[in-house]
Amino acid sequence: MGKLLFEWDYSSYPGAKKYPHLFKPIDIGTLTIPNRIKYAATEDNLNGKDGFVTDSGVAYLRDRAKGVVGGICTMQGVYMDKNRQGQGYVGQAAAWDDKFIPGLKRLADAIHEEKAVAGCQLMHCGRVGAVEAEYCQGPSLVPQRLRIFRPVQEMTKADIKQCLKEHIEATERLLKAGFDIVEISGIVGYLLSNFVSSYTNRRTDEYGGDIRGRMRFVVELIQEVKKVCGDVPVGIRLCSDELLDDVGGNTPEECMITYEMSEEAGVDYMSVTLGWQESIYPVISRDIPQGKWIHLAERAKQHITIPVCMAYRLFLPDLPDKAIGEGKLDMWEMCRPMIADPLLPKKVLEGTEDEVRPCVACNVCLARLFRDAPMTCYINPVCAHEWDEKYQIKPAEMKKNIMIVGAGPAGLECAWVAAERGHEVHVYDKRDELGGTIIEASKAPYGDDELYGQIRFSKVKAEKAGVEFHLGTEVTAELIEEEMPDSVVLATGPNYIKGTAPGFDRENVVSVLDVLNGTAQVGDNVVVWGNLKPGIGLALFLAKQGKKVTIVGKEKKLGKDINPSFLWRYVGYLKQNKVTAYTDCDIEEITDNGVIVLTYDGYRIPVKADTVVTSEREANTLLKDVVQKNSIELFVIGDALTPRNLSSAVHDGYRIGIRI
Amino acid sequence: MALDSEKEITRLWRALQGAQGANRRTFYQMRRVAIECAGPDANPFDIGVKAWEVIGKDIGKSNLPRMNLLKGEEGLMMNVARAYQGLAETNGAVVKIEKGGSPNEIFITWERCPWPTSAKEAGASMKEDLAGCDRYLQTFLEEVNAFLDTNLKIETQKAIPSGDGICLRRLYKPEEK
Repeated sequence: MGKLLFEWDYSSYPGAKKYPHLFKPIDIGTLTIPNRIKYAATEDNLNGKDGFVTDSGVAYLRDRAKGVVGGICTMQGVYMDKNRQGQGYVGQAAAWDDKFIPGLKRLADAIHEEKAVAGCQLMHCGRVGAVEAEYCQGPSLVPQRLRIFRPVQEMTKADIKQCLKEHIEATERLLKAGFDIVEISGIVGYLLSNFVSSYTNRRTDEYGGDIRGRMRFVVELIQEVKKVCGDVPVGIRLCSDELLDDVGGNTPEECMITYEMSEEAGVDYMSVTLGWQESIYPVISRDIPQGKWIHLAERAKQHITIPVCMAYRLFLPDLPDKAIGEGKLDMWEMCRPMIADPLLPKKVLEGTEDEVRPCVACNVCLARLFRDAPMTCYINPVCAHEWDEKYQIKPAEMKKNIMIVGAGPAGLECAWVAAERGHEVHVYDKRDELGGTIIEASKAPYGDDELYGQIRFSKVKAEKAGVEFHLGTEVTAELIEEEMPDSVVLATGPNYIKGTAPGFDRENVVSVLDVLNGTAQVGDNVVVWGNLKPGIGLALFLAKQGKKVTIVGKEKKLGKDINPSFLWRYVGYLKQNKVTAYTDCDIEEITDNGVIVLTYDGYRIPVKADTVVTSEREANTLLKDVVQKNSIELFVIGDALTPRNLSSAVHDGYRIGIRI
Repeated sequence: MALDSEKEITRLWRALQGAQGANRRTFYQMRRVAIECAGPDANPFDIGVKAWEVIGKDIGKSNLPRMNLLKGEEGLMMNVARAYQGLAETNGAVVKIEKGGSPNEIFITWERCPWPTSAKEAGASMKEDLAGCDRYLQTFLEEVNAFLDTNLKIETQKAIPSGDGICLRRLYKPEEK
């Protein structure tokens, strides 16, 4: 039994009984961690551009520390060089000078105040770094596959020595700041992984050659950091599979040698990761089934004896609990699930896991970081606003009777938030079930069923907050005038429209909703009108049934409402399913044989089709006039305001919910 | 309105040829600007070849996401050959690819290429046209080699600007000694 920093007794909590393996202690080096939960180091771009910790960064981490209920909460990786070649994100925290210690101490203190174990991370971003510098560093001069990165400068032996020194000095600063665990990052294309990989390390000196040579820098680094840390545990994140076989990366066997050598060098735990930013295979997007990568943690455990942690598509507690029980894993790590819901493990412990706001694995959080923007979450409106009082749910100053029209994601989000604030909330929907058009959207393939999780979450929250549902009830002018609520929130969803071109009145022109819910017949050759997310989801739904699908859309870019870190998955699947897409085009005419596509510059292309499915939308102004005529406070949210995506619906709903 | 497919295709084809011509004219206009800016001591040949080096490097980098070793170096050679073919055909050339006698070589034939004619119209020498094209193909390959740690080479065996009627290039992997 190691040193226990904070006493936790989980015995009376329902979650500890349901998930006994998650809430039992584990020794990491000299420390005993009360449970098996770790918030993994996650960049957030919330720090100042000079690397100083900010109020928003502290508030963000404090919430995650609260969430781990005594487990490990790791701050984001710090860069350690004044030249900023190791810096991979504009808002990354720095530790290259003593002047950063007070800010880092604020983070460690915030974690401790929540009775959690404070982890920190050393992260030199290597060939994907130098976001504010001209050149990045790497073991060899190998160009990156992606052009967004800076040119690589090959490190001399003096550079390597200097880099080691900077790691040691940064470790000393982090320890002075009060952190309990130090983690070294060697993943996704960062410097250590560059040294380890046969793809990026072509050195012929002692830092190159075979896997043992390529590991020399990592081993030296671990040994030096260990010396500085003394009793403080040191962990490392390394790839169990680089997924770089197409460019000559390490074999899985070589990856396991890196694990063994790290343990021999003295690390106290291993965080198992996989894939690089330059890998061509998907790893964490929602088309990857939950739990797909557990076998990699299991393989790691066959090679090393230190505790093994893992994140990567383990969003729900049952999978890691089972894996720990079966000896395949030791600790459950989370990034994105706790971005979406910082209190996820706490809710699991308290038996309220039905109130967990589920991550939809859209990767907008990552997309924002790569575009130098502060992190946000697709479905958690409070993410990165934890510091801001205006974003918190507070009791309403005046209780109102609120009518919400539409039980889709916007209406439901608004409903539970407003109800929690003390308002009397009534939600109406002409459908007999909750969810709005997410019901249809979640029928699209490649993991889109996970989108429905947001509806489950908001339904539970709304029910617990006392929202009254009136399903199967279409709201009319008469109903509004009869009820005369204090406020009306129109969350009716969009109008699905037909084009004005000749032929849109034909019988073979049907709506996206009718196709997805199975009430419309669709032929073998289909044209989908609309090239945003609804059209793409529909095209994949039909193509998976073996139909020949062509997308015709007015937007210049396919899927411009889908964030770029996920769009590549859809584009790949469209290609795989042989879907043709005409962008910046419209339908000029629907004929007996198909449609005539009109390009933006006036060319006309005939496309064979026996069915045309419309997915274009417009704002829904229904009922607006009647509400205004009766001088009732009016809010229009979600797609009813202007058609966008699930994220906008949820954020709209939350923002109106806290203001109304 | 009934669709006249022949008319639509003709319009598209003409527009494509127009864009290809404009692309070549723009290159030689920018070359002239560079020569004028460089002053009387500069050698137009060097400037032209340097321009192709920059283009080759940039296009090489753009093509890296499509280059891999999943089918070994033979597969990579075919990837490179197809990239050359696609790029040339987009610019109006007619290009054929043939596997060589050994798995370590591929022959690429430019049966037609509009660039020598454009060079002549702009007053550039055939020597420069050939050297520029060679430099472009080589720097493209250098990017791929640096990325994948390979050692592919390309050599020109026949050239339209030399009066051979076609350009014939051999893409190969040198035998290890």
